Amino acid sequence: MATTYKTFLNNDITSTKTLLHESIPLTGALVSGTYGTYPSGSNIKNYAHGMFQSVYDYPYLSSSANHIFDITCGYAPNSPLSSSDSNISVQNAKKINIYNQMAQVLMGYDATGSILRFDEDGNITDGGTKIDSGYFLNFSRLLSKDEIKKGSFTMKIGTGSWASPMSTANVAGDGRVTIADTNAQNDYRVNSPAGEYGILSMSVGYDTEGPVTPKVGLIFYQAGIIFLSSSVFFRTSQGGVLQSNADTDMTMAGNNNITASFTGSLIQDAANNLRHRIDNISFNNTTELNSTIHFCRINHNDFNYSSNPTYLSQSKIVVKNNTQDAPVSYITTVGLYSADNELLAVAKLSEALKKDPTNEMTVRVRLDY
Amino acid sequence: MSTYKFSPNDIFYNRIKTFPEVSFYIYDRRVIYNNKGVSAGQFVSNVTQMTGPVTGGFISLYELNVDRPSDSLIYPFVTKDGSLTAFKTISTTAFNSDFAYGEQINGSYPLTASISLDRYQADQSRPKIQALKTALNSYQNLSYAYAYNSDFGNKATQEMRLISIPSIFYGSSIKKGSVSLKFYITGTLIGELKDDKMNGELRQFATSSDGVTITQSGSIAGVVLYNEGFVILTGSWPLSSHTEKYLCPRSATPGKPRWIDFGYTGSNGSGDCLNVNLPSSSFSMIFSGTNYVPTLTMLAHASKGELNHSNNPTYKQYGSVISQTSSIGTTQFVESIRAPIVNVASSSFVSSSADFQKITFIDQIGIYDDDKNLIAIAKLANPIRKREMDDYTFKLKLDF
Repeated sequence: MATTYKTFLNNDITSTKTLLHESIPLTGALVSGTYGTYPSGSNIKNYAHGMFQSVYDYPYLSSSANHIFDITCGYAPNSPLSSSDSNISVQNAKKINIYNQMAQVLMGYDATGSILRFDEDGNITDGGTKIDSGYFLNFSRLLSKDEIKKGSFTMKIGTGSWASPMSTANVAGDGRVTIADTNAQNDYRVNSPAGEYGILSMSVGYDTEGPVTPKVGLIFYQAGIIFLSSSVFFRTSQGGVLQSNADTDMTMAGNNNITASFTGSLIQDAANNLRHRIDNISFNNTTELNSTIHFCRINHNDFNYSSNPTYLSQSKIVVKNNTQDAPVSYITTVGLYSADNELLAVAKLSEALKKDPTNEMTVRVRLDY
Repeated sequence: MSTYKFSPNDIFYNRIKTFPEVSFYIYDRRVIYNNKGVSAGQFVSNVTQMTGPVTGGFISLYELNVDRPSDSLIYPFVTKDGSLTAFKTISTTAFNSDFAYGEQINGSYPLTASISLDRYQADQSRPKIQALKTALNSYQNLSYAYAYNSDFGNKATQEMRLISIPSIFYGSSIKKGSVSLKFYITGTLIGELKDDKMNGELRQFATSSDGVTITQSGSIAGVVLYNEGFVILTGSWPLSSHTEKYLCPRSATPGKPRWIDFGYTGSNGSGDCLNVNLPSSSFSMIFSGTNYVPTLTMLAHASKGELNHSNNPTYKQYGSVISQTSSIGTTQFVESIRAPIVNVASSSFVSSSADFQKITFIDQIGIYDDDKNLIAIAKLANPIRKREMDDYTFKLKLDF
């Protein structure tokens, strides 16, 4: 219990912010094939509602399992994929609802109250190309933490045949395309109600005008959500962005193209199709550590005496040899008190500091939260 | 939306005190924590990646690297910048000389905690025990067995066993009277220590000849530091005629089991031979921790005649033109008379509308701070019908 208090002045307290990151690698083996035979897997959870599929890093019935991400897909009401004929499109309403719900949360509304569709380059006021169908990957908060680090996201997708998605060189290089938010740390958008977002581009692929890195989706950093356009899976001659050696699309189960997969199969089957082609995903997350630093300034004439019972023996200061010696104390603890002198926090020193009238010191107390 | 201020009588601060039980079972260089075994994965033999001289008995802080190969581990990193922040495992010298500004400083997962058992021979150096001298002497008022140097022995020199328990296992303190240490030979209990007097003394109880009845022999074999999380065992009398090589080095003559040999093969600490087996001896340690859960209870009142209007669009009749005919000025808001409220009052008669009542359905309560920022939402399992005559109080509880 302190008997003397010293009041902090304005320049004794400051706040800092530290960014802590984690590197998160997710291999294709994790999302497909390790814990069962594809498309089943004890780490893959499907739900009766059929709205999305969850991927865990271990069989989800185990208490050790962590939720990694959810996969779902959807398309806009005015997309060509949308149809009022339920015989043509499986889970049509759900897929439209998913697109609308994600668009409401991630893109917001226009002045008339209409839902804004996902914009390819994020420039909503200019109109431009909209992304009307695609996959949503919602990463768990456990992995994305406060936000995904801008410019750190990469996702490799195998472009080969359905039977061997990773081995056949359907595109230049190793047959895989890399989807990344390249340079997003310097170029990101802030016009989303869900926070900041970047543009995903594909490393290998051509549009109709020649070699570029086409825009293939959006990444919402604080929300931890990836929206991947279905154009990734189409060859350029079909209006997609995939530069295919054999002029073929990235086919899905049953050798269907992505349109047939989106309209003709359940959401969980469409999710299975994407998992089958994921080679790996990696990103870095960010956690903000906010700190308040209290500078406890001890002047030469402060805290040279202790009220500790062991400080005195027979009315003499234990740590003094001669009566003429200056008083000495050893500082082991700093207590932070409220204005009402209630003890709020205690900072312990790793070793005691000798204090006498000949020295001054500043003890730096950092409080992280 | 209406907002109401909590009165002092509407807010209660409580603290729930819980005593979660913790158990360790030690056998053959394996520590089983809370009866939970080690799960093997597809890529590693222990999915939680927690390894040491003994298997199991760990708590992983984040449990992120579950069944991952060594080249796919999640790891933390910070970038060296002007804030001079780094991991505690990075020394000041290394921070200054090994990393340039803008360079990445990596850490590693998992971060784990486990019990540690240290064995001290007579007159062996024991800095950990010396560090506990003040704490031990301060508990002499509970039992003289705590004293650093007393008739019970001199803890600076006598043979002893120190069991260190990280606070993540017990919380604020170990619950008094909950500690139980059992020594088994080939599965048969040969002795048990309990702090039955709740004063920190670990007194021996023994199984009687019928193998069931536990009788107290009364001998004090050690003490428990409840707040600090240490168990110190000094009992050196033989518990059984069975002999095994409890001593290190292993070339020593086999000895009879004593309390100072407790937990021999479960040690991650110093003083024991690591990587050795004791095929006949096993050990159990059970105690309860103390965990405090601060609780905030708030009473939200929906009084008679209040909260009977909703701004929800569905509160008005479908098809009503709300926005175009409302009059909004600097001093007034006149709602459209063409936006009538839906009458949801139930009639007692078939095919007859009931008289109009202002009825709302309360389905959630928002908590706002002084600046009207929404900081919490309490959702009801089922919406509550609120008529003008109804008077409700909602009890909101927040644990943290």
